[in-house]
Amino acid sequence: MRETPPALSITGLRKVYRDGVTAIENLDLELADGAFFGLLGPNGAGKTTLIGAVSNVIRPSAGDLTVFGHDYRTRSARRLIGLAEQDINVDRFLSVRQLLVYHAGYHGIGRKTAARRADELLETFGLGHKAEGRAYELSGGMQRRLVLARALIHHPRLLILDEPTAGVDVALRSEIWRLVKGLNAAGTTILLTTHYLHEAETLCDEIALIAAGRIVDRGSAASLRHRYQARDISEVYDRVMTAEAAS
Amino acid sequence: MSDTDVKHLTPYDEPYEAERAPFLWLAEREVLRFLNIGPYAIAGPVLSTILFVIVFGSALGHRVAPIDGVAYGQYIVPGLLAQAILTVGFVNGTTSLFEARRDKYINDVFASPLRWWEINAALVTGGVVRGFIVGAGVLAIAVPLTGTAFVARPFIFVLGTLAVLLVAGQVGVIAGSLAKSLDHVYSMESIVLLPLGFLGGVFYSVAQLPHVWDVLSRINPVFWLVQVERIGLLGQADVGAAPALVVVWALAAALSVWSAIIFGTNRLKA
Repeated sequence: MRETPPALSITGLRKVYRDGVTAIENLDLELADGAFFGLLGPNGAGKTTLIGAVSNVIRPSAGDLTVFGHDYRTRSARRLIGLAEQDINVDRFLSVRQLLVYHAGYHGIGRKTAARRADELLETFGLGHKAEGRAYELSGGMQRRLVLARALIHHPRLLILDEPTAGVDVALRSEIWRLVKGLNAAGTTILLTTHYLHEAETLCDEIALIAAGRIVDRGSAASLRHRYQARDISEVYDRVMTAEAAS
Repeated sequence: MSDTDVKHLTPYDEPYEAERAPFLWLAEREVLRFLNIGPYAIAGPVLSTILFVIVFGSALGHRVAPIDGVAYGQYIVPGLLAQAILTVGFVNGTTSLFEARRDKYINDVFASPLRWWEINAALVTGGVVRGFIVGAGVLAIAVPLTGTAFVARPFIFVLGTLAVLLVAGQVGVIAGSLAKSLDHVYSMESIVLLPLGFLGGVFYSVAQLPHVWDVLSRINPVFWLVQVERIGLLGQADVGAAPALVVVWALAAALSVWSAIIFGTNRLKA
């Protein structure tokens, strides 16, 4: 039987922005198909840059990136990625429903299928009654759901979630985690960044700690706790980041 | 939230095949975007252009001597048409692309299977379609209002107008990709586009100017857009049909290359 290629393979990724700031320095990373991978690090560590590079939103300065064996720039790779960015970046000229339909269209999905999937997701995410409104009229929690729905409409195999629960209340946060767990159980590979360390520990089967554009350490929550003789991942995080700041 | 159906993950080992071309979706979105704000996007530019026709053509025009044997009201219609298309293309491209960049929803497009040239072409298509609708609206009112004998040279008119539409669409997309703020967009319009329009021979023949200004006017790209429309609609202008067509198509080609470089080299990405 043919082995499934890694969901994501990154070798020697480097990103230097136009202002000279190095956001990522020689980063290697591999995610197996079906993994639930957490990327933890402080603001400015390079998490969003890494996600942007994988999603073809940011130009890497150097490095090779493949998604299920396809170069990340190819259409074969891009149809496999679902991206929910940290910012609520929705097209303000379209209605909520149109926003989903057109996103599906950008992935090459036909009109009928796009409309059906949009309606299904609107119901799934409790947005059916807001379908004809504009995204900017929605509450923060609803906008977050919409961004998630948009990331899912083309049935991606690799779902990238950049702070998906930033600014949402406890109830919605737990709903989002339940949904993401369900997606992972059904085979979707998840790449997650979050500042909720306890939840990352509970959800992710592997965690990487990133600081100053480098992956400082990675492993399962249990192996990281053991390595740092820590009670939980928060303690691991504190020790790693303190050591990084001192170095 | 109820559980979502994820039974059918996209296979990773099948070649990409679109049910409907992503380009068509984005081009449709670009048209839908301005249709959703229809009164501002279409009626506004048509109305402001027609006001020029009424004030300068109908109200004041009978006090101005005919130019090259053409009544002044009729004489300014082609130039106003070119200017209306150019302004609409500029506004369309800057609004659509600059706001997509500012609000970051262009990331949604970059992350999709759309290729750079499809994104570029779809954005330009939006400006071209909007320019076409506004141009048709201007002609539909201005021609009967001024008694212009409609389209003296149809071949030149069609070929020239296509180039004008393409120039306008590309100018908007280029400006939208270069703009760093809304103030930047407005200043480009008032400092670059408006003076070039007014000095482009919309309201006069450059033959009426001192020789040096006649020569300088020919450096202004808007001058050639006006000339090609004037030849198409009225049959004559300050330059011949062949040079006018060559210049406007060369301009369209140069702007298309510039625009393609911006998209093809990923300059819109961080």
